[in-house]
Amino acid sequence: MEPDVSIETSCMIRIAVLPMGSIAIPLFRDYTSMLVRHYTVSLSSISSFYTEHQKSPFAHQPWDSGSLRLKYMVGGSPASPWEDFQCNRKIFAVIGICHCPSSPDLHSVMDQFVTACKSYSSSVVQRCFAFCPGDSQLEDESFKGGNLILFPPADRQTQEFHLQTMMQDIAASLLMEFEKSVLQAESGGTILKTPLDSQASLSSEEVIKAKKRRLGRAQKTIGDYCLLAGSPVDANAHYSTSLELARLTGDFFWYAGAMEGSVCALLIDQMGQRDQVLDDEVKYRYNSVILHYRKSFIQDNAQRVSPLSFELEATLKLARYLCRKELAKEVVDLLTTAADGAKSLIDASDRLILYIEIARLFGTLGYHRKAAFFSRQVAQLYLQQENRLAAISSMQVLAMTTQAYRVQSRASTDHALYQESGQNHADGGKAHHNWIVSLFESQWSSIQMVVLKEILLSAVRGGDPLTAWSAAARLLRSYYPLITPAGQNGLASALSNASQRLPSGTRCADPALPFIRLHSFPLHSSQQDIVKRNHGRDDWWAGSAPSGPFIYTPFSKGEPSQSSKQELVWVVGEAVQVFVELANPCGFDLKVDSIYLSVNSGNFDAFPISVSLPPNSSKVIALSGIPTEVGSLKIPGCIVHCFGVITEHYFKDVDNLLVGAAQGLVLSDPFRCCGSPKLKNVTVPNISVVPPLPLLISCVVGCDGAIILYEGEIREVQISVANAGTVPIEQAHISLSGKNQDSIQSIAYETLKSSLPLKPGAEVRIPVTLKAWQLGFLDPDAASSKNISGSSGKQVKDGCSPVLLIHYAGPLAYSGDASTNGTIPPGRRLVVPLNICVSQGLSLVKARLLSMEIPAHVGEDHSKVQVETSSVEGSPRTDRFMKIDPYRGSWGLRFLELELSNPTDVVFEIGVSVNMEDSNNEENPEYDYPKTRIDRDYTARVLIPLEHFKLPVLDGTFLVKESQMNRIASRKSSFSEKSSKAEFNASIKNLISKIKVRWQSGRNNSGELNIKDAIQSALQSSVMDVLLPDPLTFGFRCGNNTVQDFAELNLDEESDIQGARKGSVRAHDMTPIEVLVRNNTKEMIKVSLSITCRDIAGENCVEGDKATVLWAGVLSSVTMEVPPLKEYRHSFSLYFLVPGEYTLLAAAVIDDANEMLRARAGANSCDEPIFCRGPPFHIRVNGTI
Amino acid sequence: MIVCVAVVGHQNNPLYIQSFTEADDALKLHHIVHCSLDVVDERVNNPKKSSPTLNETFLGLLYPTENYKVYGYLTNTKVKLILVTTDLDVRDADVRNFFRKFHAAYVDAVSNPFHVPGKKITSRTFAERVSTIVKSFGLSSAG
Repeated sequence: MEPDVSIETSCMIRIAVLPMGSIAIPLFRDYTSMLVRHYTVSLSSISSFYTEHQKSPFAHQPWDSGSLRLKYMVGGSPASPWEDFQCNRKIFAVIGICHCPSSPDLHSVMDQFVTACKSYSSSVVQRCFAFCPGDSQLEDESFKGGNLILFPPADRQTQEFHLQTMMQDIAASLLMEFEKSVLQAESGGTILKTPLDSQASLSSEEVIKAKKRRLGRAQKTIGDYCLLAGSPVDANAHYSTSLELARLTGDFFWYAGAMEGSVCALLIDQMGQRDQVLDDEVKYRYNSVILHYRKSFIQDNAQRVSPLSFELEATLKLARYLCRKELAKEVVDLLTTAADGAKSLIDASDRLILYIEIARLFGTLGYHRKAAFFSRQVAQLYLQQENRLAAISSMQVLAMTTQAYRVQSRASTDHALYQESGQNHADGGKAHHNWIVSLFESQWSSIQMVVLKEILLSAVRGGDPLTAWSAAARLLRSYYPLITPAGQNGLASALSNASQRLPSGTRCADPALPFIRLHSFPLHSSQQDIVKRNHGRDDWWAGSAPSGPFIYTPFSKGEPSQSSKQELVWVVGEAVQVFVELANPCGFDLKVDSIYLSVNSGNFDAFPISVSLPPNSSKVIALSGIPTEVGSLKIPGCIVHCFGVITEHYFKDVDNLLVGAAQGLVLSDPFRCCGSPKLKNVTVPNISVVPPLPLLISCVVGCDGAIILYEGEIREVQISVANAGTVPIEQAHISLSGKNQDSIQSIAYETLKSSLPLKPGAEVRIPVTLKAWQLGFLDPDAASSKNISGSSGKQVKDGCSPVLLIHYAGPLAYSGDASTNGTIPPGRRLVVPLNICVSQGLSLVKARLLSMEIPAHVGEDHSKVQVETSSVEGSPRTDRFMKIDPYRGSWGLRFLELELSNPTDVVFEIGVSVNMEDSNNEENPEYDYPKTRIDRDYTARVLIPLEHFKLPVLDGTFLVKESQMNRIASRKSSFSEKSSKAEFNASIKNLISKIKVRWQSGRNNSGELNIKDAIQSALQSSVMDVLLPDPLTFGFRCGNNTVQDFAELNLDEESDIQGARKGSVRAHDMTPIEVLVRNNTKEMIKVSLSITCRDIAGENCVEGDKATVLWAGVLSSVTMEVPPLKEYRHSFSLYFLVPGEYTLLAAAVIDDANEMLRARAGANSCDEPIFCRGPPFHIRVNGTI
Repeated sequence: MIVCVAVVGHQNNPLYIQSFTEADDALKLHHIVHCSLDVVDERVNNPKKSSPTLNETFLGLLYPTENYKVYGYLTNTKVKLILVTTDLDVRDADVRNFFRKFHAAYVDAVSNPFHVPGKKITSRTFAERVSTIVKSFGLSSAG
């Protein structure tokens, strides 16, 4: 059997085309392609080469319309045993092709050609075409008139013309030879035999029948020659005779042959015109042909030779003739018959050819699955041949079937389907449809896997590692769930074996593993936010970002996250990251040698990384790269170097796969079976790359993570801001955002401003003063969580730290870039979250007011009596200890006691300072008290003496209101009540604000306790006593001047001795004593003074009742008038009878007390006497010795 | 004897393929069913030639191949039911009858609310019912 047969095959003249000398294969192909273009040579064009030697047997040759058909057998072909039966099987001409520059010795070429021609005994015309001869070869005269034809170097057109002329010459020669052959056949000299009848004819007894049969065969042969000579009418006449004779002699085989020829003659005569009648005629005749070939089957030589191949060939010829959609049924029937006949064919190569032809015809008919099925049969036949070339053929045939089975390599499919589907909507829909169909059809997994396995096998055998790799990759990627782990391992090793035979860096269109899907596009990190610049405004960033308190506004177009996803701006030269998820659903360790983003637009430098995936695992990795040029950027997928081959993995493929898996159309979701959670479909946003922008990078100097502060701690931190970009920063502005903004006490705005423009690489440090907020007040949940986490006290909580926003921008125009005509480069925003962790510091347990009552001694120093009122001047600021003067006492002195606990694990030191801001002092005196240390997990009490707050003068301004308040309380005048209350509170606040409790811990932690509320509640009840002086103050002193002088004289040397004596009074002695009454008000006060002196055993003699009074004396009703802010001295003498401790107590009843005094005393009614009492004074009375 | 029945979805995706032979020729039968789709496609695309009426669901003999005959049936939803048999003379009425029952079984199977359209039919009940129908086909043709 022969491939590519058709009815017209009978009229084609076969010409062997052979390469001569040494000629490169591509060059030979090139020359051949020039040659095969002349497959028909019209008779009219060869008439000039034709010379009629004798009368032509082709009487009806159509010189004006006919043509000779040439069939070039490139590489030649062996002689067929059926040449006598069908003349067209003969090789009539041999053309050698030689490339002169590569084979300079033309003589040897000619020798070779002559030798080659010898094997073609039937050839009547031989020519050797020598292309591109050199000058010397052209000049060589020895080939003149021979068969060597030189084609001088010329342009293509000239050469083609030259070739055409030569072919016409050859055609004319062939025509003349055919005439000779016909004349020879007519003479009846030759005996025509076929392998079929070699024995049968010998045994034939009927000589006449044999003669007729010979005649009939000769007529058929003449008809064949007529067909070859392009004269169908002549051919038909001879065939008719032949048919008649063959029918008579029962020579069915030759009858069928003649019939075939007659159909061919009929078709040529019709010159390509087809109609129903002709079709029916051809069908009828060919059915007869097939029938007669079948009839000619002779049982006894069936083992050796059979006309079956002719029957099948005839079937194929008819099928090819009828091969049209409308006649599909008939063609299918013919082809099915042919396929059934294949089993009876003896020769394997015949079967191969038959299957090839059936597959081709089915393909032409549009029956792609059947075509694929038969192609697979062909491939299997090739594979049975067990040699490399057959394996390659098998592989190539299988590759053709892949489309029908939907397992085609991506190299063979339209890339547009992958690339453009997102672009055009209509096209995209279509592509999607195509894709869906392919997805559905991809369910024929059993067939598909077999095909891929066969491709793999044939590629391995045929030594095509790339195809093997591709097949194994497709098999593994698409059908891993159906392959056992051992099989998966086998495929993995097949992949690596194939890659070892490939040069490194080989690319393959079909991806293997892993599966890669887009995980997310991280938007700009907060460090790199790009903000559109609003030109012409000072705050150019305003309005670019959604502002307002609402996260969602119904007026903004679309979903904000959606819109941000659609547009992504990358900056040239700044590294970006894209997260992708890899999955290895197979049972082996997958080592991805390198993976990086694939960008077609060429303006992106991707950084490859290598990943290793354990069996059945998935991993999210960040792929990074740097945009290099301005423009738009697309990321269709990743380039993966795995199993030794570079492949491109498209995200779209995996997305489609996942959609299919969701619909149950695909075997398995590779990510799901690796345990990866379901992910929303991530769309690749439009990425545009903009020219370089400045880039600020910030860090807080000296702390890596959070700034850990104790409650109330104040610290200055340095925020270092550096320009990491390539463009200077010309504008910058700091603003605050987030919670707890008041914890930032100051920012050195000027530092940043003064450093502008910030050149690339430059760095600025901005000092920022922070004060830690109170934990308990602001986030109670944090406090509760602290309780759970024990005493660690550290609070790392997002969202409660303030945030610095630095808006910055480069110059207003891109440097030297005209293409951006007038657009302002955007600015950027740097978000510096001040990650403040407030840990619990000291905590106040309680605050309360204590009073301390230490009676004073009666001394000689007069001035000291007044310290209570004028101590401001007397105490130096640096006096850190509170001293109680024994001659002054501390009657009525009050202390604020703060109980503090330290739950932390560091030591705190508490310092209290009282800040006096009096108008009569030019400098603010401060009283610092010694520090109190509180160890960890301890509680301590800090006493704050409230000694310096008393006003020097009992002023009406304050108390009038106070008294009014009391009166007004009855009148229910709410307004003034309120105002006075406010005044009152203000004064308390004023007092409290003067007290500062600072703490220090370690070397550099310090802060202030926020205990104002606690103090206020502690002071609320008795603030009057703290703030206001009594209207009258009393003091006693010994009236003995000599004692005083003496004491002063000896103060330096004998202070201890004198000190013991000082203030001591002897019994049985008249002791002059002065009582000093000071009026603290601005009005004259008239009092009636009484002085009590008692000797008591108890400490407190004031209350009198409880104490055991041993001796007592009263001096009463001393009436005096004390001028405002003056002292009044009243001298008297005491005579002590018994030595001991005496207490002097002055008390006065104020006559005609005014409102203010009443208010101060808290009197309820106007008639009540206002009683004023001084602190007790001790006096020691020594006995006489 | 029926060697194989198949349900093929409207996108030519196999929904159910079951062979009833002892021999290990599932792949061959898959190929036969797969190839029969060519003929079904062709008949669907050129309806006027293949069936006299438009509503005819029974496609008749699709093609004979080797020792098998392949019959087809096309539902209104373009789901193809394919039958591969080794019987050489099969009465059309038998095949029609078989396909009617087969179709009813398919309809019941896809009416299951838990069945996802387009997915392979995995229902055991369906498989049992189909095998019963296949067995009864053999009996009815014999009797």
